[in-house]
Amino acid sequence: MQSLAHHNPAAVAVYFAGVAGIAMFCMDPVILTLSLVGSLLYFAVGGGRGGHWFGLLLFAAMAIAGPVLSHNGVTVLFVLNHNPVTLEAVIYGVASAGMIVAVLYWFRSFTAIMTSDKLLYLFGRLSPRLALVLSMALRFVPLFGRQAKKINAAQRALGLYKDDNLIDTFRGGLRVFSVLITWGLEQGVVTADSMVARGYGAGRRTHFDIFPFGLWDGVLTLTSVALTALTLAGLRQVAFTYYPAITISHIPPLGWVGYAAYALLVLLPTLLQGKEALQWRCLRLKI
Amino acid sequence: MITIPNVRLRRWLQILIPFVCVPALVAVGATVLPEKQYLLVSFGVALLAVLLFITGFEQKRVGARRLVLVAVMTALCIVGRFIPFFKPITALSVIAALYLGPESGFFVGSVAALLSNFYFGQGPWTPFQMLAWGLIGLLAGYLAEPLKRRRWLLLAYGVAAGVAFSFLMDVWTVLWYAGRFEWQYYLSALAAAVPHTVLYAVSNFVFLWFLAKPMGEKLERIKVKYGV
Repeated sequence: MQSLAHHNPAAVAVYFAGVAGIAMFCMDPVILTLSLVGSLLYFAVGGGRGGHWFGLLLFAAMAIAGPVLSHNGVTVLFVLNHNPVTLEAVIYGVASAGMIVAVLYWFRSFTAIMTSDKLLYLFGRLSPRLALVLSMALRFVPLFGRQAKKINAAQRALGLYKDDNLIDTFRGGLRVFSVLITWGLEQGVVTADSMVARGYGAGRRTHFDIFPFGLWDGVLTLTSVALTALTLAGLRQVAFTYYPAITISHIPPLGWVGYAAYALLVLLPTLLQGKEALQWRCLRLKI
Repeated sequence: MITIPNVRLRRWLQILIPFVCVPALVAVGATVLPEKQYLLVSFGVALLAVLLFITGFEQKRVGARRLVLVAVMTALCIVGRFIPFFKPITALSVIAALYLGPESGFFVGSVAALLSNFYFGQGPWTPFQMLAWGLIGLLAGYLAEPLKRRRWLLLAYGVAAGVAFSFLMDVWTVLWYAGRFEWQYYLSALAAAVPHTVLYAVSNFVFLWFLAKPMGEKLERIKVKYGV
C-alpha cells in the first residue's frame, strides 16, 4: 500500500468514513484518545496544511463549556455562582472537546487529500449530470474571480470609487457582482450551446479519470472495512458511562481486540506515509 | 458504479427514501440503537435527503442551458461566500429557486455548500449545511408566485431563512457536542450564535434588497432571449 493520496478515491473515502465515523459517534475515552493522537500525527506527517490555533481555541472553549452548562454528576468539585461544578461534567467536557477536535483534524486531512477532481470521480459514478454541474461550477469559480478583478479594474479606471467610503465600497462591490452575473449568465448560455453543438446529450457521458482501482486499493478497502467492523464489535462489549458517575465495565478480550483494531486503523495512514518516506530515503542513499 | 439508469427504480427510490427509509431510520435510532444515537440518525437523514434530491435531479429532463444556468448560480454562490461577513448563498439560492424552479433552488443551495466547503473546510456539518440551504431554496421555489409579487414578503422570507438556518445549525451543534438534544445546551448555543444569526438575517435582507429585482430581470432576460 502507498500513502493515502496515491490510492483510489473510493478506497480513501471508505477509510475516512470508517475512522471519522467511529470517532464522531463514540464517546469511549480510549477510542477518543486513539483518534485524537492518530489524527494529529497524520496531520503532522503530511495530511494537511495550516495552523493549530483554531483547534486549540475550540478545544479550550468546548472543554470549559461542558462543566459550565451541565450540572449532572455526583462528584461535586466546587460551587460556582450557586451551581455545582462536577468532576463528571469536567471529564465529559474534555472528552467532547477531544472528539470534536479529532474529527476536525480528520476532516482537515480529508480535505487536503480529496481534491475536487477526486470528488468528481466519485460523484461521476453516482450521477453523471451532477458531476457535470459540479465540474462546471468548480471551473466557473476561478473564472469569475478573474473576471471580477477585470470589472473592478475597469470601474476604477472610470473613476467610480471614492477613497475611504464604506457605503461607496459596498455599492461598488454590488455593481461589480451585478455585472459579473450578467456576464456569467451570457457566458453560460454560450457554453451550453457549444456543448450541444459538440454532441452533449447525444449519448451516455463518460469521464476521464486517472484513478484505476488496483489490487492495493482493494486491500486498503478491505482492511478499512475489517478494522472498522472489529472496532464496532469490540465496542459493543464495553460500557463506559459518564453520568451520573463514571463507571467502566469489565473489558473482555474482544474489547481489547476492538481497541487494537482501532489503533491500527488510526495509525495506518501515518505508517504508510512513514514507509514511503523511508523508501524514498533508501532510494536516495543508493544514488 | 452506483448510477441508477433504470427510471422505474429511481422513481421507487424517490418514494421509498422520504416515506420509508427516513421514518425507519428515526424509529430504529430511537428504539434499537444503544444510548439513543441521535447524532448518527440525524447524519443519516441529512445524507438521505440530499441523495433523494440528487436522484431527482438526474431523473428530470433538463436542457443543457438550464443545466449551465444552475452551474453559474452555484459558482456565483461560492464566489459570493468570499465576501467578508455578508454571505449571499441564501439570497442567491432563493433567487435561483424563484426563477429556475424549486429543484434548482435546492440544488444550488446544497451544492454551493458542498463545493464552497472545499475552500472553507469540509466537516461533519457539511450534510447539514447542504440540507439547510437546500430546503431554504426548495421552499422559496414552492412559494415563488407570492414571493415574486410582493417584495416585503420576499425580504421577510430572507430574514426568516437566516434565523431558521442558524437555529437548524445549532440543533446540529448541540447533537454533536452532547450526543443528545438538551434545551439547556440549545439555548446557550443560540445565545452564543446571536451575532451570527443577526448577520445571516441582515445579509439575506441586504442581498435580497439589492439583488432580487436586478437578478430576476437578468434571469428573465436570459430566459426570454435564449428561450430556456
